[in-house]
Amino acid sequence: MHKYGLTSFLIFVCSFLVDAVAQPAAGWQETNINEVIYNAPLQIISGDHVSMHQLAAQNPLVVAFVFTRCSGICAPLIIQLKESLQFAPNIGNKKYNVLVISFDPRDSVKDMENMATRFNLQHEGNWKFAVTDSISRLISSVNFNPVWYEQTLQFDHDALLVGVNSQGFVTKKLLGLRNSKDIGLLINSINNVFSPTYRLPGQSNLFSCYNYNPKTGKNTPGLGMLFIALPAILSFSILIIIRLVSKSKSA
Amino acid sequence: MEAKGIKKNTAIWIIAVLVLFVLSIILGIIMRLNQGGAVHLDPGTFYADMTIHGITMIGIWFVAGMAGVNFIMERYVKTSYRANTFALVMTVIGVVMLWVSTLIGDFHAGWTFLYPLPFKIAWSAWATPMFLWALAVLGVGWLVWVLSLMTALLKKYSISQVFAWQHFRNKNPEVETPPFILISMISLLGVLACLIAAVVLLVLLFAEYYSHGAFVNDALLIKNLTYFFGHTIANEMLYLGLAIIYELFPEISGRPKWKTTWYVAIAWNLTLFFVLLAFFHHLYMDFVQPEGLQIVGQLASYLASLPSAGVTVFSVIVAVYRTKIKWSLSNLLFFIGIAGWVIGGVGAVIDATISNNFLLHNTLWVPAHFHSYNAMGNVLFSLGFFHWFSVEYSKRKGPERLSSLKLSFLLLGGIGFLAAFYVAGAESVPRRYSSYPVEFTSAKLLATLGAVFATVYLIAIFLFVSSIFKRCINMVLHRS
Amino acid sequence: MQYALLLLFLVLAAVIALVFIIVYLSSKKSDDELKGMANPLQKRFWFLLILFVCLGIFALITIPRSPYYLFAKEQPAKVVHVAAGQFFFTMSYKAINPDKPEGEMTIELPANQLVEFRVTSLDVNHGFAIYSPSKQIVAQTQAMPGYVNLLRWKFEEPGTYTVHCLEYCGMAHQVMQTTFTVK
Repeated sequence: MHKYGLTSFLIFVCSFLVDAVAQPAAGWQETNINEVIYNAPLQIISGDHVSMHQLAAQNPLVVAFVFTRCSGICAPLIIQLKESLQFAPNIGNKKYNVLVISFDPRDSVKDMENMATRFNLQHEGNWKFAVTDSISRLISSVNFNPVWYEQTLQFDHDALLVGVNSQGFVTKKLLGLRNSKDIGLLINSINNVFSPTYRLPGQSNLFSCYNYNPKTGKNTPGLGMLFIALPAILSFSILIIIRLVSKSKSA
Repeated sequence: MEAKGIKKNTAIWIIAVLVLFVLSIILGIIMRLNQGGAVHLDPGTFYADMTIHGITMIGIWFVAGMAGVNFIMERYVKTSYRANTFALVMTVIGVVMLWVSTLIGDFHAGWTFLYPLPFKIAWSAWATPMFLWALAVLGVGWLVWVLSLMTALLKKYSISQVFAWQHFRNKNPEVETPPFILISMISLLGVLACLIAAVVLLVLLFAEYYSHGAFVNDALLIKNLTYFFGHTIANEMLYLGLAIIYELFPEISGRPKWKTTWYVAIAWNLTLFFVLLAFFHHLYMDFVQPEGLQIVGQLASYLASLPSAGVTVFSVIVAVYRTKIKWSLSNLLFFIGIAGWVIGGVGAVIDATISNNFLLHNTLWVPAHFHSYNAMGNVLFSLGFFHWFSVEYSKRKGPERLSSLKLSFLLLGGIGFLAAFYVAGAESVPRRYSSYPVEFTSAKLLATLGAVFATVYLIAIFLFVSSIFKRCINMVLHRS
Repeated sequence: MQYALLLLFLVLAAVIALVFIIVYLSSKKSDDELKGMANPLQKRFWFLLILFVCLGIFALITIPRSPYYLFAKEQPAKVVHVAAGQFFFTMSYKAINPDKPEGEMTIELPANQLVEFRVTSLDVNHGFAIYSPSKQIVAQTQAMPGYVNLLRWKFEEPGTYTVHCLEYCGMAHQVMQTTFTVK
């Protein structure tokens, strides 16, 4: 448990670094919104054969794209997603399944089963590990473009989560390792909870007025809000100080 | 000596305000003529004109209210001549810097200088820092003035007395708080808050400007701060005018002095609170603002108008109804000003309703309503005070001539000029357009009509101003 | 709707003007020095209460009609991405890359179906106001850099709609516009 906590802490720290260093282009993340995800036939490690749309119809989906031989971002992506979903309890009452799908044609169902075991997720009911035989059409339907490097035998690829609602529409995409706030936003969006606004990634939000709170699904005051309250607070303090000073002078 | 100094300073404030007022009206008329197609300005020049018109008008009617309140306050407490003079000097420097940055430097980001527009420089590079520093100069001068007046009040009245809290329960408390003191304090505290907001805003903007982009601001935060400052100062300057009316209206009318009652005290205390939340209505169309604050904005906008407007308007009506009153130009101006203010307030309440704002936001409806309670409201409050002051303290006394002619011109010009705005607002004509795309068929005609009526208004103002101006010049030049 | 608001305003303004005129004339006619209240700052409670109730009712009717709640429960039939910049609007059915904003030449939207505009800005604050074929605003939102505003609307009337910028954005603010058609 301790070890687990440490790992997740490191990932948490890394995720901030990743966020800070390699912010993805804001526009990229906005592609494919409200388009239908390709209805790929899936082979799930439980032995089921379903199509993407059938699976989504059961429960809206968070789709994570990985490959089992990945030595890069795949593991942090899964672990952080698991953490975010566990430790943000109030999104628990929102329905979702996580579909972890391999985009490497070499991966078999067995490979995915091993991967699930590695993350201790093989018995989690709402985590589905799967492979598909039409991966290229699936990834092109969400604009995901891994590049194969022969020298390293690795794919160069982004960490991508795609939210799919029960009608099979892409509602939101998250690029890069993201914190639980963003995961919460993703879960809300696949449940068709309308949020009239959101911040784009890549902006400094040190002094932003509001932060999105996935627990309540609402925006909560950020540091910037303090700046808005500050003038009123200061004015009243000054009023009291002036009175105290002038009273002590006259006394 | 000090009281005399303040009297002289008040005369100088009046002269400065009147000169800048006439110039700014002319700038306004030029804008409407350009929109109507009668003159052709380069768009950059038009927007520089618009920027200077807006900031000058806000500035002068704010200082007009402050100068009036400072002068009347001398009746109750000793105020600081030095702070008054300091504010005067800083205001003159600030205004010169503003006019230089806009008219010479061509700065044209609008008087609200909404971030990040001031940093997308499409004018002389020095004009942006010049404009921001001008605001800093004004801010410092006004902060000192506000703090000195607050100190003057708090030396005599305790906090509960200055806010008339003893009137909440007790019908005849030992220490009475005159309505003038109550409303002045409420307004000064509101002004202090919005000036502090301006300081925070300027610090954030300077941080970005002088770090050459290493520090980047959040557009939403800056917009909130901008309207905290901009809306609140525009709102408080009206209340400064009202403080003067509560004091002078009964006096000029030859009626007994008005006294604070429990509900007047409560109403104005509530106003202090609500007015600081009303600015949220400027961000209704920014869906990024949480819904809670939007609703607060609508309710606070309603509630801020309720006590001050409800109490004041009804009091004035009751004070006049079937009551023999010594009517003079001053209290007539107050009376008409109150009517203009309420009518503008109705326009404001309509626009401060989110579902209406969806259709009216940033159309000409917005200048329509705020010109109502400025040009036909607050300006008349201050003109009433100027007139009273200049007659009361000048050696050149004599019957006021052409009063009804002046007033008819004022009403005709004012109403016509405002009607052109309201109708255009209902026709969805955008505000802040240097010229109108051809699809807006009625916009040009309405702009020209607006310019014509504004000229009639200008003539009326000119007639008023010239006599006040002469008397004030006399007061400044002749030592007494 | 706008004309209804104008009418409401004119009626209220006329009533207020009339009250002030009547009150003024009543004072002019009065010749009795002793009439009138000693302190008019009294007994306004009923007036305030009535005003309070009127405004309360007005708020209760209007707040649920705020744009933030419009069509929140439905799914849009069409999504349009909008990127505003000095001094253009880029509109596309696909997401817009802020580094290389490219949009569709023409945008066609279905009548009577839910359309969602995802509006952002590439530089300064802009407005995004949709004008009907008869040049009345039907819906609007702001375009703020760093944020995306989601405006949902169902267009009833087919025809060419114009979008104008309604937040002052600089020298060519007045010519910043685009169009789309509703069929």
